Amino acid sequence: MSASMNAPESTALPASWRTDYLQRLFRHAPADHDPVILRHRRIYILPTKRGIAFLATLAMTLLTSLNYSLSLGFAATFLLAGMVAASLIHTFRNLAGIELRPLAAGETFAGGVMPFTLALVGGATPRYAITLSARGCFPVTADVVPDAALPVALELLTPRRGRIVLGRITLSSDFPMGLWHGWAYVHFPLAGIAFPTPEFAPPPLPPGNAGQDDLSVSRGDHGDLAGLRTYEPGDPLQRVAWKTVARGIGWYTKQFEGGGGGGPVHLDWHALPPNLDPKARIARLTAWVLAAERAARPFALTAPGITLAAGQGRDHRRTALTALALLPEHAK
Amino acid sequence: MMGVASANLQRRARPGRRVVTLSPAQVRWLGALLLATQLPMIAFVPLWIACLGTALVGLRFLLVARSVRRHDPAPETLRSWVLGLLALVTAIAIHQSMGYFVGRDPCVAFLFALIGIKYLETRNARDGTLVVCLACLLIVTPFFYSQSLFAAALAIPPVILLGGALQVLARPDRLPPLPGGWRTPLAVTFKVFAQGIPLAATLFMLFPRIAGPLWGVPADHSANSGLSDHMSPGVISELSLSDAVAFRVDFDGPVPPPWLRYWRGPVLSHFDGREWTMGASKSNGTFTRPDGRPVIYTVTLEPHWKPWLFALDLPGSLPQVASDSDVGMKTDANAMLTRDQQLVARQPVTQPLRYQQTSNLRSAYAAGSGPDLEQETEENLAMPQGPVNTNPRTVAFAHELRGAHPDDLGYINAVLEGFNKKSYYYTLSPPLLGTDPVDGFLFETRRGFCEHYASAFVLLLRAAGIPARVVTGYQGGSINPNGDYMIVRQSDAHAWAEALVDGQWRRFDPTAAIAPSRIQVGLGGSVPDTDPIPMLARLDDSFLKSFQLSWDAINHDWRRNVIGFNFDRQRALWREWKLNVLAPWQVTAIVIAIAATWVGTLLGWLAWRRRRQDRARALYDSMCTRLARAGLPRAAYEGPLSYAARAAARWPEFTGAFGIIGDSYAALRYGPVAAHADTTLERASALWRLKRALNLLPSPAQLRGVPKAVPT
Repeated sequence: MSASMNAPESTALPASWRTDYLQRLFRHAPADHDPVILRHRRIYILPTKRGIAFLATLAMTLLTSLNYSLSLGFAATFLLAGMVAASLIHTFRNLAGIELRPLAAGETFAGGVMPFTLALVGGATPRYAITLSARGCFPVTADVVPDAALPVALELLTPRRGRIVLGRITLSSDFPMGLWHGWAYVHFPLAGIAFPTPEFAPPPLPPGNAGQDDLSVSRGDHGDLAGLRTYEPGDPLQRVAWKTVARGIGWYTKQFEGGGGGGPVHLDWHALPPNLDPKARIARLTAWVLAAERAARPFALTAPGITLAAGQGRDHRRTALTALALLPEHAK
Repeated sequence: MMGVASANLQRRARPGRRVVTLSPAQVRWLGALLLATQLPMIAFVPLWIACLGTALVGLRFLLVARSVRRHDPAPETLRSWVLGLLALVTAIAIHQSMGYFVGRDPCVAFLFALIGIKYLETRNARDGTLVVCLACLLIVTPFFYSQSLFAAALAIPPVILLGGALQVLARPDRLPPLPGGWRTPLAVTFKVFAQGIPLAATLFMLFPRIAGPLWGVPADHSANSGLSDHMSPGVISELSLSDAVAFRVDFDGPVPPPWLRYWRGPVLSHFDGREWTMGASKSNGTFTRPDGRPVIYTVTLEPHWKPWLFALDLPGSLPQVASDSDVGMKTDANAMLTRDQQLVARQPVTQPLRYQQTSNLRSAYAAGSGPDLEQETEENLAMPQGPVNTNPRTVAFAHELRGAHPDDLGYINAVLEGFNKKSYYYTLSPPLLGTDPVDGFLFETRRGFCEHYASAFVLLLRAAGIPARVVTGYQGGSINPNGDYMIVRQSDAHAWAEALVDGQWRRFDPTAAIAPSRIQVGLGGSVPDTDPIPMLARLDDSFLKSFQLSWDAINHDWRRNVIGFNFDRQRALWREWKLNVLAPWQVTAIVIAIAATWVGTLLGWLAWRRRRQDRARALYDSMCTRLARAGLPRAAYEGPLSYAARAAARWPEFTGAFGIIGDSYAALRYGPVAAHADTTLERASALWRLKRALNLLPSPAQLRGVPKAVPT
């Protein structure tokens, strides 16, 4: 969202100056580079509701002391006012100097939860009750111990496929008295990909180059064993090289020449039944990509704007899913 | 009422918004805060309110304990409408027992009970805020009734607990409580308060006070200690049973002898046969001229809710309500001198009042002239107008005695001699008198306190055609050896007489004729030992008495410097600091400048401490900067050991120095030295090695000049 869109048109200030100023105030554009150290120019502090109520109460005791000339009433009121003022400084200090680093954006299927991992670094002093929040995320609150980088995951619910942007992060804290709310905006250009939701119970994979579909995926040792590769989470259990696990050498996954029987499969957008709408097509292709990967069959993918040569493996799968996730809404 | 209101609020709470329920620990903190706030107030609210308010807080403690025992997640509370009803009933009961509701005392009592009621139904964070704010109000209320050192000391626990409760409330429920249990919030509070004190002190001295109340200070219904505007038999002897302090005096110069210490108070001219009341005359009087040096002294008057101010007979000036006299405060607005030489303030004295006063120690002053004199003579000759209490025997006796003594002074001396010769007794517990009390006293009981003698004496003079009136006040006062000032107590209350003889009002003290020791040494030496003399008026020295005197000395200083710091004292201080020549905006600017300095100092100090804690890091950072300038910046992933190794590979001749830097910094930051507080010595030595090794490195420019080692 551009901040300048909200500003009235008649402002006499030069647009760039105004945009810069608003950007510095609100950090609407993802222009922060890693890492961000919070300084006084980024930190805002206003009284909380409790702070306002407490200040109003102090105003009442001040009026009472004035009216009845209660010297001790003044003393108590000003002592508490001094506490309010000093706690403002503590609120500021609790935030100042905190370093925020973006670590990673996760990936998930649409409808799932996408974790964005950030690291909070407090420096030499402990930081208390730091809350991280962003639009659409459940806020995370944590204490940061000195000299440690605390990984914090902000989890965003992904309603749709495509590029999911974390947006502006708000760091805030009411420490120590809850009378002042201090906060700062940090906006990293941090985005993850939400893959399309796969079709539920899709038709079987199209026949591969070898001419026949292989229904005995589960046995999967029709082809010739090509070798072992490092196990990655998500690999089908049938393909785990259990002998190596048992020997304590490590976890490996068996790979077969020519795939799980049918050979490389071509997943083609245009070969799908013509009555399917783009959404259903994306869902089916996604389901097939997953099925091919599960069956350890190499696949090629063709869709509007996408031409992916036959391949196999985690990276290939991710490339295919990402391409599908980023397909325009009304692809032909 | 409050309970119902907040229950409604809760029901209206937006569904999407999380209502944070208070944890048992938070509820307990609030309870501790409330008990600490209620404690100083217990003495000042009706007993049943005190019991109700504290019992409700205690009840909630029990409910919380029960819900914790049962592992019940929701804190237990009573139903809101029950509590609303309880609040209403309490309000009505307060109205019934005190007779009114819209006033200071009933409202304070209601606040006391309401806090307990609100606490009983405190569930969420918003309720917590309300409870804290109510507690904050209640912290100030005890000062209505007492501003003693003791009251100040009692106010400290609630103030500290308030800070602690705010912290515990502010701790998000998603996080575990702060380490250290209940001590951590208190420790942080002490720190925050200590840091706020400079600002608080500035505000205390510079925040403008006002001279009068903003809205009407309601008449107080409870306090009636001190001299009143009327005198009937028994009033002063009853007052004399009290050790309470009436006022304290600091003398500039020698203290007058006891027989001259007549502190003039209300002058009573009207007599109905039993009771003396003040006359109608309120017109301005003229001050007596000094003969010799006037006595100068400062009176610290306890509040007595009456307008009169006390001065030694006879006042020589209006009271100067300021600490230094040379500034010439305009006090006409605050006090006046009446025709009968009485100092009266414009407003009742409801705060401790401190004023400087001069007096001329004379026992006679010239009466006015013209119509004033006529009116005064007439007023002070008036006899009680029946039908009861005309005291006929006294009148008849006066006529008889007057026949023998046509001369005014001769007659007066005869009356005093009569008191002395005929067996009259001076006692604190005289028998009760019926109708015609003066007759009863003079001719039957013959036992009385000073008001009996003054009353009889003045009536005898009036019956003989000599204008006379009763003067009440205090006689005597004792020096506190601990503070070198005088304490005048209620037990020094006294009544004497004035008669108009030869155009002058002269002081006559019939008590001196009966019991001269009353005037010489005070009450303790003049009445029988069987009388209930208050402890501090007794002559013997007891441990308790000396302890009480030391305590009073501390209190006197407290009064003088803290409680007495009012509008006038503040203005005097400002004048001393030359602040009075500044415009208000300039004073505001000064306050802002002080506040800014305070913020800067505090931030700077805290930053300095943080940097000192991290001296090792600062040194290491400086090395990184130097090496970066020499062309070997540290990579983001590099730890101290690998960076030092890389640097040593680049500049082999400094391998030793880089090794020490890497090792000692790694030890300081990540090793056992960093983790334990009891390794101060090892820490210091590691720091020293780090510093020495850094000094071995040449400047970045020289380093850059070193040719790169060619890998073979």
